[in-house]
Amino acid sequence: MTTRQPSQRQLTLNEVSLNCDVRISSLNGPACDRLRDLGFCEQMQLRKISNGRNLVCTVCGAKMAISRELAEQVLVDPIR
Amino acid sequence: MSENPSIIALLGNPNSGKSTLFNALTGKNQRVGNYAGVTVEVKSGETYTPHGKKLHVLDLPGCYSLRTDAGSPDEQIALDALTGKLDGIAKPDLVVCVVDASNLERHLQLVLQVIELGLPCVLALNMVDVAEKSGLRLDPAKLSEELGIPVVPMQANASKGIIELKQALRHPFPHASEVSWLTQTDNLETNRRAFVASLCELAARRPDSQQRNFTDRLDSILLHPFLGWVAFLAIMFILFWSIFSFASIPMDFIDSALGSFGEWVNAMMPEGDLRSLLVDGVIGGVGGVLVFLPQILLLFFFIGLLESSGYMSRAAFLMDHVMAKAGLSGKAFLPLFSSYACAIPGVMATRTIDSAKERLVTIFVAPWMSCSARLPVYFLIIPLLLHENEGTWKQALVLFCIYTLGTLTAFLAARILRGKLGPDKIVRHFMLELPPYRRPQWSYVFRHVLDRGWAFVRKAGTIILGLSILLWALKTYPKSDSTDPGEVLAHSAMGRIGELIEPVVKPLGFDGRTGTAILTSFAAREVFVSSIAIIFSVEETDDDVKNRSLIRAKMQTATWPDGRPLFTSMSLISLLVFFIYALQCLPTTAVVARESGSWKWAVGQFAFMSGFAYLASWLIFQTGSLLGF
Repeated sequence: MTTRQPSQRQLTLNEVSLNCDVRISSLNGPACDRLRDLGFCEQMQLRKISNGRNLVCTVCGAKMAISRELAEQVLVDPIR
Repeated sequence: MSENPSIIALLGNPNSGKSTLFNALTGKNQRVGNYAGVTVEVKSGETYTPHGKKLHVLDLPGCYSLRTDAGSPDEQIALDALTGKLDGIAKPDLVVCVVDASNLERHLQLVLQVIELGLPCVLALNMVDVAEKSGLRLDPAKLSEELGIPVVPMQANASKGIIELKQALRHPFPHASEVSWLTQTDNLETNRRAFVASLCELAARRPDSQQRNFTDRLDSILLHPFLGWVAFLAIMFILFWSIFSFASIPMDFIDSALGSFGEWVNAMMPEGDLRSLLVDGVIGGVGGVLVFLPQILLLFFFIGLLESSGYMSRAAFLMDHVMAKAGLSGKAFLPLFSSYACAIPGVMATRTIDSAKERLVTIFVAPWMSCSARLPVYFLIIPLLLHENEGTWKQALVLFCIYTLGTLTAFLAARILRGKLGPDKIVRHFMLELPPYRRPQWSYVFRHVLDRGWAFVRKAGTIILGLSILLWALKTYPKSDSTDPGEVLAHSAMGRIGELIEPVVKPLGFDGRTGTAILTSFAAREVFVSSIAIIFSVEETDDDVKNRSLIRAKMQTATWPDGRPLFTSMSLISLLVFFIYALQCLPTTAVVARESGSWKWAVGQFAFMSGFAYLASWLIFQTGSLLGF
């Protein structure tokens, strides 16, 4: 399911710097529901802790490794 | 109240501790790992309430959601089990939702979906110790009030809270809770998420700042782009080194014990076919398998340790990049890695791979990762090839090249096959939970090792036993008057088969005797060494190294009828190549048939690998001969 389209270009999880805390503003792409099942829900706070072909982030107290294709569907706002 | 025991289903996200709780409730030895997706089918057991009433417990595969469009086979199985659509399993009377207390925002989504199904539910709030350590302030009473279901805080791996959970499972079962988060207009998923968020705000408040815990500190090294690889290679080196060095002590012990037992039977029984059957057929054949048991046990011990500690998913994460070159994902790493010791556990470990096509490809190429049963053959041939005694660095280099050749071919085949099979219907991106590092659960690790060891002895042992008897009969009958073992073998059915197949193996550089030894090794590769010993009439001693050196001496002097040496450099390389590629292990074929659900796939794999081995050997020998080597 696709949620609201961002009015201006937002950061995707891929573009966030390492160890940066962000809040998920929306999910945009075919894997939205799967991402939500994994804890990547709107308004959830997360921290990116590793970059690369797959990236690692902490969300809801758990560490998840996801592919860059999935991270591209997670739109975020920086917290600080 | 019905007379049949009530059915309780354990459901939860992967790695929430369902199997640990299942074991604690039923006293069973269900496999547990700190690795998502260890339970791949519905397991059942029995437990009793504090009032002595029997309960039938089902351990369902871990799932993130009960949506029918999720596409994961595990989630479909869990949903079917809960709705009573699974063959042979009645609809559960009560669902115990196992959640990781440190991760409620995610795990509660599944609990709400179970309540929406109208099933009575009890919440097992597992891993409260981990949650409290991370600074989470839990309020189980508030959680119970808001959800309308009993909530039991617990720590299943330390058996804390089990009695309280059993109290909650007593009759009458709680009624199905009201679905208070459903409104008529809004989207169900949105409502569910909003309800979970409010629930966590009330009953599971996180500390404002994220603290750096032990797992984070360790991950900063183990997931580091450079240090992570150093650590990974060091761990893998220690693992292999331990398997080969520690296993040699019990292996030598088993070998000499079996040898002494054979001698004892030899001395106790009068000479005859029965003694020959017992000593040469049964003890020799089954012993050939039993001797590899220590390596299998050690491998399972290390795999259990890596899974239980939480490192295995980090290894899969690191290896995803490498496996992608073969068209596979990081999840294929563990099965292929296990196959270096034995393809049987490797093929079984493919169950954790989500994509059915990727799983089939991994099963297909797993036997090309050089397993430990090939080692005795390599140890026999490599020194002969280099004209040296055993144990030089050049031999180690050749051995390394053999492993590399097998692995590279497996990767290449996987890439081609993955391309041929086409993409999955549902695109599966890499997603893997990296669980916190935990102290290994020793009792489960050891029980798992013993369980696997016994399964290996039972399954491989029975097949090998049958074949050993068959091979013995083929080698023994029809009998000859000669006392020379070589002549006896030539006269036997096996010898005649060798004569028959000589035209087939000659293009590879082998004569009928070598062909016969290869034929016997199709039951199990290591049989090749003892077959060569029998064929070339080598007196066996207690010392394996001495045995191999005696066999090599005979092989060096063996000639074709026209006097040319039989084993030239090219024919030995051709023999090595054949052993790298041929699938000479019937237990593996049986396991592949079971795991792929098709004998067609298993037979196809056997035919393809044998054909490939033949062609590769042929190509090597013929090219080498043409070039004058």
